[in-house]
Amino acid sequence: MTNDAMDTATESASSITLPEHLAAPTVPPVHSEPAPIPAAIAAAKDPIDWQRIGLVTAAYLGSLIAFGIVVAIKGANPFSVYHTMVKSTVLNGGSLQQTVLRAIPIALAALAVTIPARAGLVNVGGEGQLIMGAVAATGIGVAIGGHVAGPVSWVAMAGAGAIAGAIWAGVSGILRTALNANEAVTTLLLNFIANDVMLYLIYQPWKDPHGSGQPQSRPLAHAAVLPRLFHSQLNIGLIAAAVVAVGTWYALQRTGWGFALRVVGGNREAARRAGLRVNRLLLSSMLAGGALAGLGGALNLAGVETQLRPDVTVTFGYVAFLASYLGRHDPLKVVGAALLFSAIALSGNGLQLTNGLDGAIVDVLLGLIVLAPLVMAKKRGRAT
Amino acid sequence: MNGIEQTLIGGVEGGTAILLPALGELIGERAGVVNLGTEGCMLGGALAAFAAAAVTHSALLGVGAGFVVGAAFGGLHGWMTVRRNADQLASGLVVWFLALGLTSVFGTSYISRVVNPLPVLKLPGLGSIPWVGPILFDHDILVYAGYVLVAVIWLVFYRTRVGLVLRATGERPEVVAAAGGHPQLVQLGAVAIGAGLAGVGGAQLSVGYVGNWFNDMTSGYGFVAVAVVLFAAWHPVRVLGGAYLFGVALAAASVLQAHGVAVNQYLLDALPYLITLIALVAFARRGSSEAPEGLARALAQSG
Repeated sequence: MTNDAMDTATESASSITLPEHLAAPTVPPVHSEPAPIPAAIAAAKDPIDWQRIGLVTAAYLGSLIAFGIVVAIKGANPFSVYHTMVKSTVLNGGSLQQTVLRAIPIALAALAVTIPARAGLVNVGGEGQLIMGAVAATGIGVAIGGHVAGPVSWVAMAGAGAIAGAIWAGVSGILRTALNANEAVTTLLLNFIANDVMLYLIYQPWKDPHGSGQPQSRPLAHAAVLPRLFHSQLNIGLIAAAVVAVGTWYALQRTGWGFALRVVGGNREAARRAGLRVNRLLLSSMLAGGALAGLGGALNLAGVETQLRPDVTVTFGYVAFLASYLGRHDPLKVVGAALLFSAIALSGNGLQLTNGLDGAIVDVLLGLIVLAPLVMAKKRGRAT
Repeated sequence: MNGIEQTLIGGVEGGTAILLPALGELIGERAGVVNLGTEGCMLGGALAAFAAAAVTHSALLGVGAGFVVGAAFGGLHGWMTVRRNADQLASGLVVWFLALGLTSVFGTSYISRVVNPLPVLKLPGLGSIPWVGPILFDHDILVYAGYVLVAVIWLVFYRTRVGLVLRATGERPEVVAAAGGHPQLVQLGAVAIGAGLAGVGGAQLSVGYVGNWFNDMTSGYGFVAVAVVLFAAWHPVRVLGGAYLFGVALAAASVLQAHGVAVNQYLLDALPYLITLIALVAFARRGSSEAPEGLARALAQSG
């Protein structure tokens, strides 16, 4: 109890003194040098804790062993299964490209969790924002694709996706800032509404008349599909995603906006007293996050799926939430986690073909991998 | 039998598969723990119930197995969030993915098998009331269990010491601890029992009114249950209303279409979520949110 109180006290003290130079609202501090980090985020003040590193490593090993046991119960050889998984996702050029390609929507939707998380907001709505991005891209792509030059339709689809995602997340942002409705809850509800909107569209108004009864939209015109890079399976969407990911890292780590978000996330009251426009910052984090997820949905649709189908996102939005958690809301680590989850998701196909296991078994591994850091989570003081 | 009656009957049958997990989620959230893994607990319960019913030829034993397996998944969630202080939302999603994977792997041998489902028990007297009888009193035993549970949970919440401690745990665990209680034990118990009810809700699907097993058969019911608790603002009687509202919306479209009314099922499906969203905003605006304080804290410190 006393420790908690002291933590909170030191925290607010440091957060109040930190943003002094931010207080003057006329001069936005664009180039704040290596930002002093609020106490709530600075976990690195302790010396290297070898015991903890050992425990965390053991927890991850435990996850791998537990998955091996599940596999063994189903009569497959765990070593052969792990071999198949690695071979079918990274060791072969073609499959590595697929892993990277599938990671695009996961990584962007994960960054959509990361940005609001910096400001202390919880975005569980990656799924809905991905869906709305894909829906908007389909709407624009089917309407203008083939009638305008390719690059015009690519930009239009990406832009429409980003705007749709931003609107979808922005609804929760406004409900939060104007009406104080919990954003974790509203983003979750909006996922299901987005899914129903998409299903409505592809079962009725957008249904492909030549789709032999399948519920799917009309496919994009060839010119509207994102072009491949150098005869590989990758497309220019990867470049766009990479630029956006690096931009996100830069914005969060190196700009006044990113710093202000962290101050708000560290201690909202102190940020308000220091003159930061807290509500505006909170809303901007949701809008930026939603735009990234929407872009992810649009790039996935325009580059990979090329038409809207019921399982176009296949729970990637929730996987993305876990990726941001696993990457501790650090943009580069989050992208790494997204690549890992993409590989795990993709490895299911290989297991089905080679080891005769149901492909969905990889969901178990995904859960176990996140279980390790969850179980090892440090006790946190409650900074309210 | 007209369309409205058919819709309401379907609403009660399907609504029960939402009501039971929603009541379970209500218990957990009142103790301060949200379980996004409710969907996973339902899936685990649905498969366990079906497998047990297939082996023992008793659907009732299946329901018991559903409770146990649901509670086991809930126990994992409770251990992670209560004992290890893990992020509640992430932990819930982990439980969901674990259940999704495990049930598709261990469920393959049960696909396209048939079990004797729970029998339909028409209640004597009540079941013969015109109109009301077929809608409310001509169902399997889990539907009646839902009615009884709402009353029991209301009584326990508001008329017993256990309920007082449970609700106090969800608001201020430190006060419960100071009064000599064990808030962590209360939370663990609440999450496990709640998840057990989610497992029984899964059983209502697999050995109740659907009567077979297929991958991902709960198809979002568990998430609907979480939404219903929000819609109900954490009150058991409103949970009953919310669950049947969602149930009726899910049942209405197919019945309406069969009667030649062109209505899109998915727009109808989205309606209860929209109502929930509006209800939430209205509560938040009134500033009289009944959300347990501990729950609000847990959601805010996510990450």
